[in-house]
Amino acid sequence: MPALFISDLHLDPARPAVTASFLDFLERRARRAAALYILGDLFEAWIGDDDDQALGKTVAAALRTLTDAGVAVSFLHGNRDFLLGQRFAAASGIRLLPESVVIELAGQPVLLLHGDTLCIDDIAYQTFRAKVRNPAWQGQILALPLTQRRALASQLRETSQQATRQKAADITDVNPDEVDRVMRAHGVQRLIHGHTHRPAIHQWLLDDQPATRVVLSDWDDDRANALCCDDAGWRLEPLLPTGT
Amino acid sequence: MIKLHTSLGIIGIELDSARAPATAANFLQYAQDGFYDGTLFHRVIPNFMIQGGGLEPGMSQKPTRAPIRNEADNGLKNEVGTIAMARTSEPHSASSQFFINLQDNGFLDFRSPTAQGWGYCVFGRVVEGMDVVQAIARVQTTGRRGHQDVPVEDVVITKAEVVD
Repeated sequence: MPALFISDLHLDPARPAVTASFLDFLERRARRAAALYILGDLFEAWIGDDDDQALGKTVAAALRTLTDAGVAVSFLHGNRDFLLGQRFAAASGIRLLPESVVIELAGQPVLLLHGDTLCIDDIAYQTFRAKVRNPAWQGQILALPLTQRRALASQLRETSQQATRQKAADITDVNPDEVDRVMRAHGVQRLIHGHTHRPAIHQWLLDDQPATRVVLSDWDDDRANALCCDDAGWRLEPLLPTGT
Repeated sequence: MIKLHTSLGIIGIELDSARAPATAANFLQYAQDGFYDGTLFHRVIPNFMIQGGGLEPGMSQKPTRAPIRNEADNGLKNEVGTIAMARTSEPHSASSQFFINLQDNGFLDFRSPTAQGWGYCVFGRVVEGMDVVQAIARVQTTGRRGHQDVPVEDVVITKAEVVD
């Protein structure tokens, strides 16, 4: 039974087609898997599990159907949905993973990350990340009323989008030396992450041993990809015969 | 029957006009109009499907007729060797692009009349040249112009011939 990996769906009430693709994926494709790993940025924004918007509830219910059917679903936070917490996890039956985790696939250790921590050349982002991943900051934010959190989230997104447009393309990608360092530190030759929206399966030699880094695809109206890992190997699997 | 003459051989398709009348008629019309002549199998994914009938060499999209109603609720299943319509996430958005299933893709079948459950409409099956379909499935692919899984060497439908 295969394990599936997805990330960067950026689910948003403004993009209903992507939500439809995802719900379809949970209902059909994911049912044939043993495990599903969501490596961050499932949601475009997440202001707390107490948010009352419909999208979060719909997704939690769909995940619950899948986990009730016996598929193990794990979630690792991205830079958009880092406030997703235990309440959502309990409602949906998913397991929350730490920001980096090593799992075993076909007898091999594999490191899972969202991927933003590999983009160390983007110093402004890393400074921001350190702030928002601080539990004290998160506690303060979650204590604010929902309306204030909503305003803050949209302000942060705007700032981030403006900043990304101005950044050189190479600093928003991973730093290759950091990739090697992190993989060595975790004792792995295999890494799966998302975040950069540059889907690919990279292969190279790390300390004279073959190494693999899979970058998961982001989703949009006519693109929905999952990494499928099974006995036949690893492949980025498009989920839809999309076209008109 | 419709014979798709491709750069790798001929694929014979039998349409199921009884169970997918609108979709079969739509495909037949595109074939009779010569629309498919010169289009590509532009998306090739082994163990999944081969897709074509909408893009020309260079990955430019041909202008199509209006989209058709999704008839995926006709009971036909996305089994190996069947032909079905590609579409966007909007259920009733298919126009010219179709795909041939390389394996049983039950997750593409109709489940409910909702955006998530409509599935992909099967409207016929390959009755000749399944070896050609398999040969197309084996070609080397790459990313091109924002599309993934595009054959490195164009797989062209040179002519869609309608035969009695």
